[in-house]
Amino acid sequence: MLEARGLVKAYATPRGKPPLRVLDGVDLRVAGGRLAVVLGASGSGKSTLLNVVGLLEDADAGEVTLGGERVSALGRSARSRARGRYVGFVFQSFLLLPSLTALDNVLLAARYAGRAGADARRRARDLLAQFGVLERQAHYPPQLSGGEQQRVAFCRAVLNDPPVLLADEPTGNLDDANGRVILDALRARARAGAAVVVVSHRADAAGGADAVYRMRDGRLESERAVHQGGTR
Amino acid sequence: MGRITRRYGFTIAGIAIGVAGIVALGAMGERIVRFIEGGDRFVLGQISVAGKGMGMGAGFTAGGMLPASAIRAIAAVPGVSGVQAQVMLPLNPSTSQFMTLTQELILGVDLSVPSPNRQFPTLPIREGRQLRAGDRGVAVVGASFATSHGLRVGSALTLEGEAYRVVGVLERTLTAPDRFVMVAIEDARRQWVAKDRMLRTIIASGAAAVNAADLNTGAAVGWRDGEDPDAVARRITERVEGVNVQIPSELSALLRSSTAFFSALLGGIGALAFVIGGLSLANTIAAAVFERLRDFGVKRALGATDWQLGREVLAEALAVTLSGGAVGVALAILLGASVDRWAARSGQQLFLFSGRLLGGALVFSVLLGAAAAAYATLRVVRLSPAEAIRRGA
Repeated sequence: MLEARGLVKAYATPRGKPPLRVLDGVDLRVAGGRLAVVLGASGSGKSTLLNVVGLLEDADAGEVTLGGERVSALGRSARSRARGRYVGFVFQSFLLLPSLTALDNVLLAARYAGRAGADARRRARDLLAQFGVLERQAHYPPQLSGGEQQRVAFCRAVLNDPPVLLADEPTGNLDDANGRVILDALRARARAGAAVVVVSHRADAAGGADAVYRMRDGRLESERAVHQGGTR
Repeated sequence: MGRITRRYGFTIAGIAIGVAGIVALGAMGERIVRFIEGGDRFVLGQISVAGKGMGMGAGFTAGGMLPASAIRAIAAVPGVSGVQAQVMLPLNPSTSQFMTLTQELILGVDLSVPSPNRQFPTLPIREGRQLRAGDRGVAVVGASFATSHGLRVGSALTLEGEAYRVVGVLERTLTAPDRFVMVAIEDARRQWVAKDRMLRTIIASGAAAVNAADLNTGAAVGWRDGEDPDAVARRITERVEGVNVQIPSELSALLRSSTAFFSALLGGIGALAFVIGGLSLANTIAAAVFERLRDFGVKRALGATDWQLGREVLAEALAVTLSGGAVGVALAILLGASVDRWAARSGQQLFLFSGRLLGGALVFSVLLGAAAAAYATLRVVRLSPAEAIRRGA
């Protein structure tokens, strides 16, 4: 379960101009087993929303609750641990570490959660096999195609089986076929019980979503809610 | 370590250059320090006496002639344990008699008396043997002298037309004895007469009653256990006429003041090496951390705590600085050995890679690398993961 209330976030602007208010009292609630899609134009604040609920960035006001724990009030290290415990991220630009092999990139998630070991390695290989990139496990990111990189990044995001999965433009750098693989995988994670939030500027990302929102002027507007009980 | 080397090749190279600079400059400094310290130990180990006047001898025996009667009088002074008559001459009389790093000297010692120098009762021998009482026509040469003149044990050496056989080569001391030719005092006296036209003229004219035993340029004087060497030296001055007595502590101070310029230069070079090399090293490590800002943002997004990240960065920084430090030390030694091979042709050694220098340089590198890594990590973890990813993109 992911819950955010009254999120406010503003960025400093050049001197003399008022701060740019990107989030203006945003509420969002996504229960486990639900997939929510946030649509919006570039610069509308949807990535900031994802960063704030995923504890990658502080909000100026408001609170975030993950798995029933009010995580926005935690200190820096406790927030890091909470992030590792609750959240998996899929980024538009994959963000794989170029100095590590595909397998080691996946295993990073386990390392920081204190779960590195034979089990984690086995699960990482299973995931790579499931996404068709096991034979690329020893390759470095620059040796992989964009689609392969995103599949490896997805494996990394779900290795620890996080209850919350956040995807920021996950298909933004992919062709249609690879985009479909990733969106299907996100839907599958939701069906498996995770609370999944996808932000995208592409309307086709909303297919199969339980709820669709649109970011506009720092506010979140509901466009469609299939399962009202599960989302805001 | 192989992974570290591959990933941080340029960083290691940058550190290696900084460390090589520190070590090479430090080794030149060590070389000068050894020379100054060696001279200081020597003068503090004996009371050096020369005859009053000037124009005779070289080095610490420079002054007037010291006749046999003066030597006997010095030996009778309370507190004196032994007196060794000496003749010290420049090998090439056309060069200055000022004691320099490069001056080659003939040292004739009275082999019937043990060396009274407490710091150097004997000079360490590398090859062959020491001079013995009764030796004539043989020489023990310093290490640099042997190298520059191509001498070994058994080699022939001609001094003022006289043939000598080398019976020993001294260990390299990096001090004045490296350029000594040591012979029996009787041989040195003949050398003196041969080199000094005025002396020959005086002896031939019969104007002065000079015996062979009077031909000494100076003497090394020892003191009995429990005696204050400075007090003994002052006593000699009071009780023996016609001598110049060097007070050991004053001579040491004089030596240090005369080398103060070198010491200051050395300090300046050392400080500069540490500042430049240190800044280069710290900057390289910090830059290596900052250029991986995005990676750290990703790691924190994956749940890495400050402690986990700090430990990781520190471990990598230590591995990188140790690798860079080791390569830098090797580079400096290689460079020093190459230059010294060239300098050895003229009997010089410019570098001294002492254990304390190499150990100090490595410890300095590692500490500075760790400090730079810690500083950079603290800066990095202050950023939110999102900000780190944005800035590192």
